[in-house]
Amino acid sequence: MSGEEDATVREPLDLIRLSLDERIYVKLRSDRELRGKLHAFDQHLNMILGDVEEVVTTVEIDDETYEEIVRTTKRTIQFLFVRGDGVILVSPPLRTAA
Amino acid sequence: MSGVGEKASGSTKTPADFLKSIRGKPVVVKLNSGVDYRGNLACLDGYMNIAMEQTEEYVNGQLKNKYGDAFIRGNNVLYISTVKMPVADGA
Amino acid sequence: MANNNPSQLLPQELIDRCVGSKIWVIMKGDKELVGILKGFDVYINMVLEDVTEYEITAEGRRVTKLDQILLNGNNIAILVPGGGPEDGE
Repeated sequence: MSGEEDATVREPLDLIRLSLDERIYVKLRSDRELRGKLHAFDQHLNMILGDVEEVVTTVEIDDETYEEIVRTTKRTIQFLFVRGDGVILVSPPLRTAA
Repeated sequence: MSGVGEKASGSTKTPADFLKSIRGKPVVVKLNSGVDYRGNLACLDGYMNIAMEQTEEYVNGQLKNKYGDAFIRGNNVLYISTVKMPVADGA
Repeated sequence: MANNNPSQLLPQELIDRCVGSKIWVIMKGDKELVGILKGFDVYINMVLEDVTEYEITAEGRRVTKLDQILLNGNNIAILVPGGGPEDGE
């Protein structure tokens, strides 16, 4: 890939490139969300994140009332690798420093 | 590269033509999971990876989230649709 | 481009004949679409116009009208030239 520092978004992956060393939001399959600092990524969207907060959302059905119980489980992970094929969406921080 | 779309018949619109025509326009991107993303299309690539601006996330027709910028990984995309009106829909 | 194996060429030729007319697309999973085929590529990604989308959910069938779409070829299961589920009735 081109190593030049360019602030324009010509292809979707540029959006990720511009988020290097910034905190990003990652939506993964099976109702997992990550917020962390993007250290590295590749064309598959494999990513290395640091200081990560993981949120897992589960929906359970109450045995008696049959109500849906939405639970979120949070945990922090210092450093992790995300395999790209599980990624649905990546949102960089708002860069419009107006 | 262009497959079978090589014949120059007037009314055909290949996927490449479509992608050229929708840059910067408001679109709806539907994922295989059924989730809809409405926003302005910034750009996309051959994998159908998509960069969108002012994106709204709809689950079962209900607004769940907003993102300033969003990258959507192409393998999740079911379709990209034009919208007649700007991103506002009461259906 | 002389290819002696017609089975490699024929399916795409068939779809090519549908360009400009109505086509019914049945996806893997519980989704179907009907629209006018405007064009397609080697992955059978398709541009469809005046689309009606049918989703079969637990709550019943949801119908959505769409102006023009690029449909990802990845999850297409079946193509039916001519029309959709509604047209036969």
